[in-house]
Order: sequence, then C-alpha cells, then structure tokens
Amino acid sequence: MQLHVSPATGVPLYLQIESQLKHAIAAGALKQGDTLPSVRKLAADLRINPNTVARAYQNLERDGVIRTVPGGGTFVANNVPGLLKSEKLKRLKPFALQVAVEGTQLRLTRDEILKQVHVALDELGEKS
Amino acid sequence: MSEFAILTDGLMKHYSETRAVDGLHLHVPRGSLYGFLGRNGAGKTTTIRTLMGLLRPTGGSARMLDMRVPEEQIAILQRTAYVSEKKALPPSMTGEHLVRFNRPFYRSWSDALAAKCAQRLEIPMDQQFKKLSLGNRTKLCLLMALAQGAELLILDEPTLGLDPVIMDELLKLLIEDYAVEGRTVFLSSHRLAEVERVADWVGIIDHGKLLLEARLDDIRTEYCRINASGNALPVNIGPQILSAVFSGSLCEYVVRNDADRFVAELRSQGATILDVSPLNLGEVFLLLVRKEEPCTSGNVGATPAALSPST
Repeated sequence: MQLHVSPATGVPLYLQIESQLKHAIAAGALKQGDTLPSVRKLAADLRINPNTVARAYQNLERDGVIRTVPGGGTFVANNVPGLLKSEKLKRLKPFALQVAVEGTQLRLTRDEILKQVHVALDELGEKS
Repeated sequence: MSEFAILTDGLMKHYSETRAVDGLHLHVPRGSLYGFLGRNGAGKTTTIRTLMGLLRPTGGSARMLDMRVPEEQIAILQRTAYVSEKKALPPSMTGEHLVRFNRPFYRSWSDALAAKCAQRLEIPMDQQFKKLSLGNRTKLCLLMALAQGAELLILDEPTLGLDPVIMDELLKLLIEDYAVEGRTVFLSSHRLAEVERVADWVGIIDHGKLLLEARLDDIRTEYCRINASGNALPVNIGPQILSAVFSGSLCEYVVRNDADRFVAELRSQGATILDVSPLNLGEVFLLLVRKEEPCTSGNVGATPAALSPST
C-alpha cells in the first residue's frame, strides 16, 4: 500500500499518516497481522523526517491500531481499537459536520446527502 | 553532554552600520533536522560563517557539540561537515582527487558513503571541479560533506542549482544518512516546501533576529485560519488573533494557540463557523516576516516587532 503526504495543506504530517493507515485498515487494504514498513524505511520513502513517522506509529500503537514487537517489526493489530462509543462518536463528529456543510452549500437535500453516505458505506463494504 | 548540537547566546555580528546577526538565541536539538529559514540577507549565511569560525562574532557566544566557538574550532571542525553558500572547491581537482585528498583529514570518513552519493546524485567524478555546472558543483560539495560521516552537518543553501530529480534523491540520502543515531543536520534555505517535508525543527530569522523557533508539527497545530460568518464578530487584534479580514458578514481570522476555544467563543456569540484549517509553513513564514508592512487587511505579527532599522 502506498502512502502520500502533503506538507502544503498545513495538516501535521504525522496526522496525515495516521489517518491514511486507519483508512487503509477500514477499507480492508491492510489486514490484521500485515507488516508495516519500518520507521526509517517509510521516512526515506516519503522523504520526511523519521521523528514524524515515529510519532504517528506511537499514536497508532496507543490507539491499539498497530502493535510493535521489539526487534520484530510493526504489524496491524489483531483487534479493532477498543475505544469507548462516546469517544468514537466524538471523533466522527467533525467529519459529519463537514459533510453537512458541503452538502448544504451545494443545495442538496437532506435525503441526497444521506444517500451519499450510504453509498460510501456500501462501497467500503464491498472492498472488505 | 548538552541536549543541543548548536547553542548560541545573544550572538552578534555587526559590520559598521549593518547588524547582520543581532542577538541570536539558537537552540538546535541533537538528532534534529533543523531548517534555518529566512529571506535573502536575513543573516543566515553570516550566522553559519560565524559558527564555522570564518567570522569573528562582535558579541554573544556560541557552542557547537558542547565546544566553544571559535576557541575550540579545530576540534569542532573534526566533527562537523560544512557545505558553504559559495560551493567552492579547488578548481583543478576532480571528484576522485578530492575524495583521496579529503579522506585522511577525517577519522569517520566513509568511502562507501562517497560512492553511494556519487552514484545516487549522478556526479561526474572524473571531471575537474571548474568544468562542472553549478548543480554538479553543489552535488560534489554535498558528497564531500556527507562522506565525512560527521555528527553535525551544516548545509548553507544545499539545493542551489539542483534539478527536481536530484533534489528528491538528496532528500532521501539526507534522511537515510541522518536517521543514524544522534546525527544533526542544520540546513539553511528559503525554499520552504522542501524544508517543510524533511525538517522536524524550524527557526525563522529576519534582520538578524530569530522570529520563531519551534517543532514543525507544533507550528502546524498552533496557527489556524478560521472562516466565520455572523453579526458583531470580534475585531480586536491581539496576541491571539493575528489578523481579521472582513468581507460583508464574513470574516477570515488567523489565530495562534487554542483555536478551539476561540471557535467556541465565536459560536456562543451566535456566529457560524464555516471552516477551520491549519496554516502551512509558507503561510506562517509570510505572516511573521511581512509584519512590518501592514496591509489594508490589518495584518499584525505574532511577536512584538523587533526590527532594526538597517538593511
């Protein structure tokens, strides 16, 4: 799987890496037990600072998305992040708001906006 | 052992009327890749030349790898590699000659690294330095510095004349080489995009003074642009609100620190928040460096104005 980061957006690079890996796991492109590249290799591939990659990995490990075996590499964790439901909903909220704002600005109806979310969920479901 | 590879305390270099470096306090952490940014004539090269012992400081002090500049310069040079702004090497020597000539001066010299650089950066090693193009001269200087295997690498505008392919290879080489434990890279540039990729620390210098020194990820989370609409939006620019540009009932704010609280405040006053987005390094740079020329939008700098009238 290929990651891409763009410094020009101003979004911290470690957050870009985190969200792309989470997305790849949600979409089934990365499966439980898959090996992730080492910090040094990913940093060289993306031409970014190794400390930035290390920070992303640390955060993902704290969230239970990946696990690191000392001397043995980094893997996609076996179980899905055990976050509280309220925490999960809190994380999703800004994205829901963004969909709502964009949709309203495009003068789409409530049903049309909701339908797009359903379509996106269906597409994800087919891949995994 | 200090946690800083380079530490300066009120470093000054004045030329009669010109204050090229004017009380500089640099803190370059060991193991960082530090981007030293500024406009042309901001004082980047003068700072570096002073650190390398090529210029005598007018005042203040500096330490590199815990050693005093310039008193312990010989010991510093033994463990520091340097690519100068001018990219000059003996004109009649070829790359191969230069490798043989430089090798015995450095204990940690690596022929393997020299060969790797020559191949990856596509350097014609059998041609005299004076016959090389600007880009190839830069590349050969970089090879000489990287092959030293030094603890501290000081690069003054290392990307001068490089094409995009070589530029990309250089970044990769720097990361691979730099990722070796404890090594520090200090590079000056005004090309922000490349620095923004590889650096983890950034210092912005203008008129010989440091305007900002911080971890790059912190800069990215600290500065935010907020678009809001509503009646009676706050207009008072202060330490937190750096600028506010109105058009009708819309307002674009640039804020520093605690954007969440500011957003909540706006919401409680009945405003609609349309968009919150972080600033990239280029935008932060312009915001800080341009503050002396306030435009009609009322841009105000983040730090108190501290500009010398000269230059």
